[in-house]
Amino acid sequence: MTHTDSEPDQRAFLAQVMAEITDEAKRRRSHDLPAGTERDLDELFLRYSPLSGRGGSVTAALRVVDSNAMVDPVVPVASQHAGGVAVKKGLRSLSLWYMSWITDQVNRFSSGVSRALHLLADQVDDLGRRVDAQRIVAGPVVRDPRAHRSDAWWVDEAVGELTAIPGRVLHAACGNGWLVQRLGAGGIDAYGVDPNSSADGAAEESGTDLRQEPLADHLGAVGADELAGVVLTGVVDGASLGERARLLELVTDRLAPGGTLVVHSLSPDGFDAPDAPVEVDLAPGRPMRPGAWEAFLPLAGYHAVQTRVGPDGRDYLVVARRPGIREVGDGSGRAE
Amino acid sequence: MKVAFVTPRYGPEVMGGAETAARQLAEHLVADVGFEVEALTTCALDHITWDDVLEPGDSTLHGVTVRRFASTSGRRPEFYALDGRLRVAPAEATMAQARQWVEWNGPVSPDLIDAVAASDADVVAFYPYLYHPTVHGIGRPKGASVLHPAAHDEPALYLPVFRATYGAADAICYHTVAERRLVQRVHPVAAHRQIVLGLGVDAVPGGNRPGAEILGLAGRPYIVSVGRVDEHKGSVMLAEYFRTYKRRRPGPLALALVGPVAARIPDDPDIVVPGVVDEADKADIVHDALVSVSPSALESFSLVVLEAWVQSVPVVVNATCPPTREHCERSGGGLWFGDYRQFEAVLDRLLADEALRRRLGENGQRYVEEHYRWPALIRRYAEFLTGVAGSRRP
Repeated sequence: MTHTDSEPDQRAFLAQVMAEITDEAKRRRSHDLPAGTERDLDELFLRYSPLSGRGGSVTAALRVVDSNAMVDPVVPVASQHAGGVAVKKGLRSLSLWYMSWITDQVNRFSSGVSRALHLLADQVDDLGRRVDAQRIVAGPVVRDPRAHRSDAWWVDEAVGELTAIPGRVLHAACGNGWLVQRLGAGGIDAYGVDPNSSADGAAEESGTDLRQEPLADHLGAVGADELAGVVLTGVVDGASLGERARLLELVTDRLAPGGTLVVHSLSPDGFDAPDAPVEVDLAPGRPMRPGAWEAFLPLAGYHAVQTRVGPDGRDYLVVARRPGIREVGDGSGRAE
Repeated sequence: MKVAFVTPRYGPEVMGGAETAARQLAEHLVADVGFEVEALTTCALDHITWDDVLEPGDSTLHGVTVRRFASTSGRRPEFYALDGRLRVAPAEATMAQARQWVEWNGPVSPDLIDAVAASDADVVAFYPYLYHPTVHGIGRPKGASVLHPAAHDEPALYLPVFRATYGAADAICYHTVAERRLVQRVHPVAAHRQIVLGLGVDAVPGGNRPGAEILGLAGRPYIVSVGRVDEHKGSVMLAEYFRTYKRRRPGPLALALVGPVAARIPDDPDIVVPGVVDEADKADIVHDALVSVSPSALESFSLVVLEAWVQSVPVVVNATCPPTREHCERSGGGLWFGDYRQFEAVLDRLLADEALRRRLGENGQRYVEEHYRWPALIRRYAEFLTGVAGSRRP
């Protein structure tokens, strides 16, 4: 089985065709289909849309509100029974003054609610645009071909730290799965995530457990204490302070007691070097110095923090452990 | 290597997507990789009543040992009122309410649950997540439990009782990346072993009859929608959209809704509803269609989309259905619509542009060849099961 190299091309082609179609649909929206008919057709579509689909579009939800905002006091009088129409007409005439009084109040209320929702939606849209203009860009994965390979100087040491630990080990960003395969060959139950779209294709080709997912989204869907180890490569190097802190919080929560955190990062010098990966130019943050990890990881609840700088000083490795239950036989059986 | 499939219904008479998928995987594991496979199931064929209609006991079907067990209750009448109450805010249901929902949804078969717990299979595969046998059987066998959720974005997925169901799985097998994304959004299972597998498709030889002739359309061009003709599957919406389209674009174009009919479609000279047709006729009908439409928003995989692509027919899918849209986006084999305007614009474009139809169809065919042909797909599945066997989660 081969992964489709042309998938990005197909996606681009399809995106172009759909953009043209969407523009055409918008252009037509301004004329010729009666508003009531269009609302009925929209409602028919939304009736069996998934929960996320219904919740996903405020505009679509408001269209449903609008289409149901008016309560008609003039009930239909069609009937399949002889004389049914006359009876219904009579009942309608007798009750119309009362129904009109009720529906008039309901209609005033529902149109007020609808108007308030539209105002709210407009304000949320406006707020979204303002926030979007000031957002902090997520740090890109810094892909370093010299360090992110199975014969790099730090890999044996990292694999050694993770050998024989009970449970799953997560590698992010996993790329094509080079470290997951290396860990797997060492008997470690490893899997990988990467925001890059090639991860799922690489999984299909190699048979390894790789997924295309943003790391924070992935960790958000992992249960507390579920991971025995986490290896981060290229993830924290260019992350902003806030992003790095949030990531560390998530990792710490998902690591089981006694779990191991391994971080490989470019050093500040390596980050600034002329031959640094191009992603550093897009990064909102800079790498910490090894000493900063030694200072801050204990504050986050880690112990046994070790750092080691690579032979040319351009990158370094951090290994730390979460406190765990003492090994059976050490006499305490208590948390460290 | 021995694998057991646990599914509420099993057999060629069953039309459900999840049950059909389970049977196909089971039979291909026997035929293509030589695994020993058994199916543990009830005596039911109807997923509404779960009535016992088949005899309990063991039989063999295409190399798979089928072990059927009687149920003590099917879907209870009280289920519908409870379902109606809980679906408004399913995540807020109490655990007791959610457990009641599972009991009343059925089928309840204590003998089946006992057989699951006593199974000597290396891996027990549960398919789908939604029913009593999975909820009460998963995690109980000695071998590893693999969950095939077949989930889509429905209220039941959010019921709290299913958190334990997903949590008890040693591994999860998804149909699509979209399904994985959905499940992980609702349940914290991202660290579970997993695979995105999907289902295999075979080329079905047609009878070389013109599709329009089979449909009684006398040479008219047509678009087709294959699958259960059901309001929940979007058939009524598609019929109404097409009627509106034809009022605005008079001409010979027709719509064929092919499959078991569970909804009333208004009589219309431009819409034909032939009901169930045999596989050869279905292949011929799809082959000659200009476009195949999947209007359903509630699919976890959709074989009919892939079957259209086998014949290089472009597809149009519901924009709010993540799995079918994922197929289109990955393959470049189809377009989607999210309202009537877009439906009209998509259809106008496709009908006017033969080169686009051809390109989409060829893209779709290539996608099926690369990802969803049985021999390669079942080998991936067998490797996954072998890796999962003997590795229970702590």
